[in-house]
Amino acid sequence: MSLRNRELMNLVVVGILTALGFASVYIARQSVVSTASLSYAGFFFALYLAAHLVCRLTVPAADPYLLPMAALLTAIGVTEIYRLNPTDAFRQGLWIVVAVGALSVTLALLRTDYRRLESYKYLFGLGAIGLLMLPALPVIGESVNGARLWVHVGSLQFQPGELAKIALIVFLAGYLREKREVLAQGRLKDFGPLLLIWGGAMLVLVETNDLGSALLYFGIFLAMLYVATGRVLYVGIGVALFLAGSAVVYTYVGHVRDRVTIWLHPWTSHPVPCALSGKPALRQDCASYQLVKSLYSLAHGNWFGTGLGKGTFETTSGHPLIPYLNTDFIYSALAQELGLVGVAALLLVYMLFVTRGMKIALLADDGFSKLLAAGLTFSFALQTFIIVGGILRIIPLTGITLPFVSYGGSSVVANFILLGGLLLVSNGGTVDRS
Amino acid sequence: MIYASIAVEEALLVIKIVFLVLLYLFIWRIVRAAARDVGLPQESFVLAPGSIPGLGEQHAVEAGRLVVLKSPALDEGEEWELDSSALTLGRGAQNDVQLEQDEYASSQHAKVEPRRDGVWLEDIGSTNGTYLNGIRLKHPKRLTPGDVVRVGETELRYEA
Repeated sequence: MSLRNRELMNLVVVGILTALGFASVYIARQSVVSTASLSYAGFFFALYLAAHLVCRLTVPAADPYLLPMAALLTAIGVTEIYRLNPTDAFRQGLWIVVAVGALSVTLALLRTDYRRLESYKYLFGLGAIGLLMLPALPVIGESVNGARLWVHVGSLQFQPGELAKIALIVFLAGYLREKREVLAQGRLKDFGPLLLIWGGAMLVLVETNDLGSALLYFGIFLAMLYVATGRVLYVGIGVALFLAGSAVVYTYVGHVRDRVTIWLHPWTSHPVPCALSGKPALRQDCASYQLVKSLYSLAHGNWFGTGLGKGTFETTSGHPLIPYLNTDFIYSALAQELGLVGVAALLLVYMLFVTRGMKIALLADDGFSKLLAAGLTFSFALQTFIIVGGILRIIPLTGITLPFVSYGGSSVVANFILLGGLLLVSNGGTVDRS
Repeated sequence: MIYASIAVEEALLVIKIVFLVLLYLFIWRIVRAAARDVGLPQESFVLAPGSIPGLGEQHAVEAGRLVVLKSPALDEGEEWELDSSALTLGRGAQNDVQLEQDEYASSQHAKVEPRRDGVWLEDIGSTNGTYLNGIRLKHPKRLTPGDVVRVGETELRYEA
């Protein structure tokens, strides 16, 4: 079977899964089966087919599993968002259309030679910095939940950090490909860029109050530095620097300190001062309310979950139990409705996506492609780890989206562009090897 | 719209089970594909020191040669040394290995290409197909010494 036919087969499976998911939500809500649930699934299946046809035309030799996996993750995400809030799901559907458009444009523009991106590396570097700085601007920048990550233009809201991440990876792939010989020699003056980016990550941390993003950017940088130079020592030094920087930030920034306290001690048996109400309260009713309710949600899911559409996300009076459920906390919603078995499958899909990406990096021919594929894949893996790890209390929780699944336009668009990058590299890796 | 009233609980249970089973089947398909790939040449992630694409030592490998076994176009025993660039086979005059008298060969038939991970045989759009050890080639394959490549009515052996 040809690669693209295999992709089509997998997409059909994803289409059936989407139909089942929507049907389950629909039946649980209205106790009837209706063609409406099938028309939603049909809509998404048509969308994936469009993406598939674009792949057929532009990247015929690309990896046939990446697109179906991305489609599955978006389908599960949009099903759960639909279950939580149909209006949001409609908006998310529109964003997925935009994202598939962005993927098509990426593939069409770069199908002949994506390697020419390398000549614009400094432009991408500056672009990344510019995008990262946007939320800090006074008028359009916006602070949500203590972290300054959003930009507001009219009624449109987006998180420029998501796109900055990809620009940064393109920049690093070009830069490290050029400088890796010098870096590998390990002279002290060559550590300049390393320190500069460490400083940048710390600045992002202080400016946005967001530990997750800083960890993400710095992690991407270290992983790519390792790919470029093969020096474990650099990773060691980088991790040490990051820990030292975090310790300093922990001491001086209250917001970061709160996050760590919530992580280590979400429950208290006696009232502690509560910043939200100004009165003493148990921590689980105040600062760690969100995390604790999310943990209960995970526990309620048990092995096989309540079934899509049957989870409990509201109090008896109809108030939502968990704030930011369909963005940062969508994993705990899924864990409740699909159970451990279901979310384990979800995490397996993430792992397989990462193994495909790493395989693409392994087989890529030139340094730029290798670095690009490895960087994109690693950013995807690390982002998933940061949010799922945060929800599962492995690391302090930071609000970051779960790739492809969470509600959020900028995130979906950025992840489809990331997917486009991997498809392009894998296409070049199989066909144009000369 | 068509409505049908059914036993809700049972329907949801069935959907849940089918959903999970299908989800794991999907994963299984991909894992199986990944398992097949284990046989592919593996390289390190880490960029090899000094391997600048385009030049560098990766092309200076000893690539082997092709020896004619039988052919209506070429003499038996004739040899082509493989170096860094690809060797094209076909009836057209632009080919490295010209098969003018071979009626069954296409003008651009096949390509033998030394890459960093070995020597690869690829069909470049022939009419009658390229055969590796008697099996028609569907996608590029890596050659191992002793392999017999058939293009039209010409047979060549790859030797290290």
